[in-house]
Amino acid sequence: MPSRRRTLLKVIILGDSGVGKTSLMNQYVNKKFSNQYKATIGADFLTKEVQFEDRLFTLQIWDTAGQERFQSLGVAFYRGADCCVLVYDVNSMKSFENLNNWREEFLIQASPSDPENFPFVVLGNKVDIDGGNSRVVSEKKARAWCASKGNIPYFETSAKEGTNVEEAFQCIAKNALKSGEEEEIYLPDTIDVGASSQQRTGGCEC
Amino acid sequence: MIEIDLHDLSDDADYADSMQQGSASMTRSDSSNRSSSSEQVVAEIVYLKDNVAIHPTQHAWERIRGRLKLIKQGGSLLMTWIPYEGQSSSARLSEKDKSLYTIRAVPFSDIRSIRRHTPTLGWQYAIIVLSSGLAFPPLYFYNGGLKEFLATIKQHVFLVRSAEDANIFLVNDFQDPLQRTLSSLELPRAVSVANRPTSSVARSESSSSRTDGEALDKNSTYIQQNGRQRQKHNDPRNLSIQVLEKFSLVTRFARETKSQLLRESHGDGFISNAMRKHDKKPNSYSFAVESNDVHKPFEDIPVPAESLEYDKLSLVWGKPRQPPLGSKEWSTFLDSEGTVTDSEALRKRIFYGGVEKGLRKEVWRFLLGYHSYDSTFVGRKYLVSIRKSEYETIKNQWKSITKEQAKRFTKFRERKALIEKDVVRTDRSIPFYDGDDNSNVKCLRDILLTYSFYNFDLGYCQGMSDLLSPILYVMEDEPESFWCFVALMERLGPNFNRDQNGVHSQLFALSKLVELLDNPLHNYFQQKDCLNYFFCFRWVLIQFKREFDFEKTMRLWEVLWTHYLSEHLHLYVCVAILRRYRSKIIGEEMDFDTLLKFINELSGHINLDATLRDAEALCICAGENGEACIPPGTPPSLPFEITSMYNQQDDDDVL
Ligand SMILES: Nc1nc2c(ncn2[C@@H]2O[C@H](COP(=O)(O)OP(=O)(O)O)[C@@H](O)[C@H]2O)c(=O)[nH]1
Ligand SMILES: [Mg+2]
Repeated sequence: MPSRRRTLLKVIILGDSGVGKTSLMNQYVNKKFSNQYKATIGADFLTKEVQFEDRLFTLQIWDTAGQERFQSLGVAFYRGADCCVLVYDVNSMKSFENLNNWREEFLIQASPSDPENFPFVVLGNKVDIDGGNSRVVSEKKARAWCASKGNIPYFETSAKEGTNVEEAFQCIAKNALKSGEEEEIYLPDTIDVGASSQQRTGGCEC
Repeated sequence: MIEIDLHDLSDDADYADSMQQGSASMTRSDSSNRSSSSEQVVAEIVYLKDNVAIHPTQHAWERIRGRLKLIKQGGSLLMTWIPYEGQSSSARLSEKDKSLYTIRAVPFSDIRSIRRHTPTLGWQYAIIVLSSGLAFPPLYFYNGGLKEFLATIKQHVFLVRSAEDANIFLVNDFQDPLQRTLSSLELPRAVSVANRPTSSVARSESSSSRTDGEALDKNSTYIQQNGRQRQKHNDPRNLSIQVLEKFSLVTRFARETKSQLLRESHGDGFISNAMRKHDKKPNSYSFAVESNDVHKPFEDIPVPAESLEYDKLSLVWGKPRQPPLGSKEWSTFLDSEGTVTDSEALRKRIFYGGVEKGLRKEVWRFLLGYHSYDSTFVGRKYLVSIRKSEYETIKNQWKSITKEQAKRFTKFRERKALIEKDVVRTDRSIPFYDGDDNSNVKCLRDILLTYSFYNFDLGYCQGMSDLLSPILYVMEDEPESFWCFVALMERLGPNFNRDQNGVHSQLFALSKLVELLDNPLHNYFQQKDCLNYFFCFRWVLIQFKREFDFEKTMRLWEVLWTHYLSEHLHLYVCVAILRRYRSKIIGEEMDFDTLLKFINELSGHINLDATLRDAEALCICAGENGEACIPPGTPPSLPFEITSMYNQQDDDDVL
């Protein structure tokens, strides 16, 4: 059924532990913020219906453990992603510096067909804290990095107060949709990891 | 040393070429160039794999990628691994690092063994151990190809699987008598296998008299039977699979012979085996083996005769869970000195009923291994006081770090920050950890930070706070909780290893257990590409901590910690839960995503007692076969129980 329309958009949220990935996802999907989300173990996702023009899509948002040590698991679920959201905490320089690692790691593990043009969106979270007084990464600096990586769209958010969350995810959905459509061919919802890794066996991306 | 760099084909134009050479040599007859090789020293690349990487540091993203080759030169086989130029994934890795790790032409005569790691999640990797005992850092096969690597080696040198560990391949090892026996079984070491593809079924083992034509016929029949239309001949990948399948047949043969012997000397069937295994008399179990259907727990599975010996049998197990062990009964397990006289009986008692709340503080110390069963009141009192001051000493190591020091101690700051982020989101809904400025939350932090100094290499990893929280809740004492946590981490520490190997090996064992105990479900997962069992990751990593409420988690843990029927009862618990929902999973045709979501949402809805009873039954049913599914050293086994000359505890960081 090649004419079947693609209705599932897969989004991966990455970033250091504690930057607010789970909170952002829950704020967007459930319009709730809780101080008591547990640290994510393994992976989970939430889904949300979104409408574009006259079409309805299911946004499937994947949330993962942020500790570096769990990165090798990414390969199990990054594949088939349509958009990757990189989150950092504006009050933590380290979380910002790690964006590059997360981006590269994602590209390696997800191995999208067109890595140059794969859509990322960057979120600088927790802008509410201390009225912005404890912030250590300036918006300018963040935007400069985004520009240097192929004009990645950038948002400053607060999962706690809901600031910019809706806007950010609309952009995320739009980008995910674009990347899906550019591929033209219909992709099944689940990606056959076994088969694709075999095909890649002989290839060299270097 | 031979100047192999001359033959290093380092640009991509040569890549396809060398691949051709590689496969050509695989399909060529063995005898072709062995005699002439002494004349002209021609190097021939028989294997080439790009994107093989090492991780020189603990950071997953600091890697050096390169090209792995097997080169045949003269009569010997050499291995090289050359990093790509100017391709550092991280600024912290210098060119010097690269040349340090480069493997230049190591002849296989210098290689002692190869250890293969094929985790269900993440990348496959291999560890090459030299005759000198040294080992290269793990080589990660980002693009796959580990199987081919081994298969290719096998065509050129004598390679045999270790009897102790199916993932260790010994190079040129003629010492071990068992291995000698195995090698005399005509392992397919000659290259001619490629031209004469043999069926991957056991019968080919005894077919030395068969002609090539016959073998070919049988083989194609086999392929057709399996509905595979693709031509299998001359495909190096299939070749390697066949070689490895043959391998595993031989090892399985050896293992089955062994268990057959055990069975014969210990009465009949798996049940008596399970008994023997756990030093039980048959009547101490409350189930009976029946030849007709009284109660069939497995009635919904059509079991292939090979996968289960007990398809004709059925079990009756009536043992309901018992009330938890109370203090009165507890005192009957202690003699006047305070020694637990029959630890087996105690563990059995707790296995079936758990421990009363108020008694946990005392009993958990034994279950966790902080106190030994043969210790006395006096001895324990002494130990506690010593441990208390030891704890303070370790704690002081970070307590005394000044602000100025911390500024220059990034690792410490990062660790502390990570721990602080996690303790404030650990079990806050429990009154014990409730509210702002909760002192127990601070205590969690202090213990975890102290642990990360006690075991600096492992450090802190997410999930640890989940494991510690019930312990602190029960012990209500900082140093005691610390040492109990240390004891727990002796067993579960590998869950948090950087290469995730501890979890991988458990998920692998789980997949084998499901294959054994619920073959249709296994087939279903296979069909849906779910065999990595990633959806059980959280279950395994933190022992179901997120799946049950706090009280139930503690009950489950004390049962698991008895290690009464098996050290790996938790894996049978996994199987039990999956089996409970199998018809839903299969009926709704859940794919990987749906399954992961479904499993995550089971949290809070699993009936613990029923699951434990199922797990117990499954564990007993599986018996020896179940044990055989679980590779030695799989957590929570204690690492030092291993007797092999090879270190099987997967502490590859050390290697
Ligand atoms: N003030 C503030 N706190 C936040 C915000 N987002 C998350 N947090 C808090 O930061 C901590 C980590 O959040 P979490 O969503 O679990 O982070 P994750 O590890 O990236 O998933 C929690 O204590 C959250 O309550 C935010 O926008 N503002
Ligand atoms: Mg999270």
